[in-house]
Amino acid sequence: MSAPAAGPRPAAPAARRRTLRTVTVLASCLALVAAAVVLGVRALGQEPTVTLLANWTGRDARYFREAVIEPFERRYRVHVDYQGSSAESQVLSAEVEAGTPPDVVVLTGPGELAAYAGQKRLRPLEQLIPRGDFSRSWATPLYGHVYWFPLKADLKSIVWYPAGTGEQQRRKAARQPDQWCLGMGSGATSGWPGTDWIEDILLQQQGPETYERWARGRLSWRSGEVKRAWTTWRKTVGAGGRRDLVLRALTTEYQKASELVTADPPRCTLEHQASFVRNQKPWRKADGRYEPSAPFIPGAKARNTWEVSGDLVALLHDTPQAGKLIRHLASAGAQRAWSEKESGFSVDARVGPPAAGSAADWHRSLAGTLIDHDAVHCFDASDAMPPPVRDAFAQAAIDYLADASPRHLDELLRNLDALSSPGDLTWLPSVCDSGS
Amino acid sequence: MRTGAPATASAGDDHGPGRSATRRRPGRTAAGPHDGGARRPGLLGRLLGAGPRPPAGESTTAHDLSVRRRLLLALSALLTLTLFLSYEGVHADAGPLRASSAPAVVAIDTALYALGEAQADATGATPSTSEFQKQVAVAAQSLAVAAGGDVGGPAGRQALQTVAGLVTGYTAMVQRAQLQPAGSVLRKAYLSYATSMLKSGDSGIRARLTLLQREARADVARRTSFGRLLWLGWSTSALLVLALGAALLETQLFLRRRFRRRYNRGLIAAAALLTAGFATLALFTVWTHRGMADTRALLDAVAPGQPATDAGLRATSYLADTGFRAAAAVWILIGGILLMALTETGLRQHVDDYRFRPR
Repeated sequence: MSAPAAGPRPAAPAARRRTLRTVTVLASCLALVAAAVVLGVRALGQEPTVTLLANWTGRDARYFREAVIEPFERRYRVHVDYQGSSAESQVLSAEVEAGTPPDVVVLTGPGELAAYAGQKRLRPLEQLIPRGDFSRSWATPLYGHVYWFPLKADLKSIVWYPAGTGEQQRRKAARQPDQWCLGMGSGATSGWPGTDWIEDILLQQQGPETYERWARGRLSWRSGEVKRAWTTWRKTVGAGGRRDLVLRALTTEYQKASELVTADPPRCTLEHQASFVRNQKPWRKADGRYEPSAPFIPGAKARNTWEVSGDLVALLHDTPQAGKLIRHLASAGAQRAWSEKESGFSVDARVGPPAAGSAADWHRSLAGTLIDHDAVHCFDASDAMPPPVRDAFAQAAIDYLADASPRHLDELLRNLDALSSPGDLTWLPSVCDSGS
Repeated sequence: MRTGAPATASAGDDHGPGRSATRRRPGRTAAGPHDGGARRPGLLGRLLGAGPRPPAGESTTAHDLSVRRRLLLALSALLTLTLFLSYEGVHADAGPLRASSAPAVVAIDTALYALGEAQADATGATPSTSEFQKQVAVAAQSLAVAAGGDVGGPAGRQALQTVAGLVTGYTAMVQRAQLQPAGSVLRKAYLSYATSMLKSGDSGIRARLTLLQREARADVARRTSFGRLLWLGWSTSALLVLALGAALLETQLFLRRRFRRRYNRGLIAAAALLTAGFATLALFTVWTHRGMADTRALLDAVAPGQPATDAGLRATSYLADTGFRAAAAVWILIGGILLMALTETGLRQHVDDYRFRPR
């Protein structure tokens, strides 16, 4: 039991210690609470993020977001910071040099990816993607590792025409340069529609062996086979010919080239363009049909041989979030999402072509051709070449369209040979699959 | 003024301990509604954990002192925390606004303007290579400044790197065009590619910069706004200052009434610190917020794509000294601790007078 003392205690050292202790405890609590609140508020504003660089803009970028990225973000609660640019190569090289590369990149060029792999900038993907889902021609091994896989594929050896255009009309139109819809503009990568033309002509005229030797830097640009492909293109599209026609082809954006098909009256009938163009408004409006390009190319001898392209996924910065995104992009669901949007095709063995009735005939037919084991598929040669050669090729196509004199062609091809010769360039070991 | 000695008996006052046989225990008061035998503490006492009130007839001074001491310490702690957060809420944004957000808005404006001028130089009737290169250099420099501003975090940084890459491609295309003869199809072609890179839809340089600029302006607006949370924080702080001031005054009067001295130095120093400190912090906050609001108005007045020549300098002058004022936040915590120490010192001696030791 407590009882009052005889009087108040004088201030004792114990009391002072208690005072000090009380103030210290209160002050510490105060500082801790303040720090916790400030840090907590700041931490709440952050979420795991993965950066992704690709070349899709506009509608393609929107499809990609809706069909592939948003499901990933919802499932894993990871924000994907997507940047799409036609100047993807310049952007990527600048970011890599600056030491701030994106975590994941989607590039059209295995040649460019091979160069980054040679610089040890890419991370191997064997542990992240299912083995055997992609054939070797799409996920080409390099230095004993797999560094990329296709997210989206397209067929390029095709010619589009409006529904109702008979075979006779198509053959007749093919002989008239102004009936070819051609647009060389594509921002920083302008010129590639021309390189696609020349590559396909070489492939159809000379076959996959010659094509592969050329795409791997083992056939001179000044060889007869390559020169013949350039001159065939000149005659087909009227390079160096009528100024208005050349100007139209040079200054038209590739996405707008097909608008001339739906003009009244139509100003062109045929377009040599990859399968993705069918999703553009003019070809949807014209109910576009396609035919293999071989019948349109003089001297074509290859059979069931196709130039293809792909958007290839690679990993530059291995974070847990980036690993999740790679697994998601390689999954059958994400691969199938492209086909369902009719914006591209998957070459994933698990996906296969759409079932009858689930997609348009042209779509099923193209999807089937891409995974046809009897067909020979050769990767877009310029995309497979080292970036300096690829860029010079695109510029040479632009220059040749304006001035197609033999002397100018010799000069352009000599320059390309000079650019292709340095020993430090990385060339792919193969660009064609063999077919069976 | 003596300290620690209770006043001699008088009506309603305490008697000093150990004075005479008839003395009452210090702090004892005439029976009243508060201590008329009730043993449960009042609401405030219960909230503050002051313990049971003494039985009827016993002095309540010790209990009252304990209640006041705990109340003052609790109010001081609460005020310090509230004031710290409210102050940080305004001043923590001043530094980033001065160092990154405002310069980023000006830099993106400058880049847009410079690129517009570069395009005019490239496509004009008399193209000027040197002027084009100068404008591109200005744009590149501005983009570097904007990147330093870290607008939009990693996403913004990535977007700026993309724009920088596009500007490089754009410059190369214009230079290719300038190598071609005037009026040639190739010159027109390369200029059209360059123009497309600059202006095309939502993927061109201009569209991307405009989007970044919108984000940068939104960042400025967020940093300069005095939102509901801040109003709540400052209102609560002001109320707590009033409550603590009133409690200090009441305690001072209580001590004067119960003890034989007019002033308690600790409590007076605490009141002075409270008044001067809060006035200073409020003034600092008004100045800083005014500078931030002026900066926002200045940046809002700059039309996109127009030269923002002196906007950067003016923004810097508006935000001068905000760094010093922001650094005062740590003094709120120190001041709070000092406030509690002064209160504790002022009351501790009286509390100790009434501390009873168990037998």
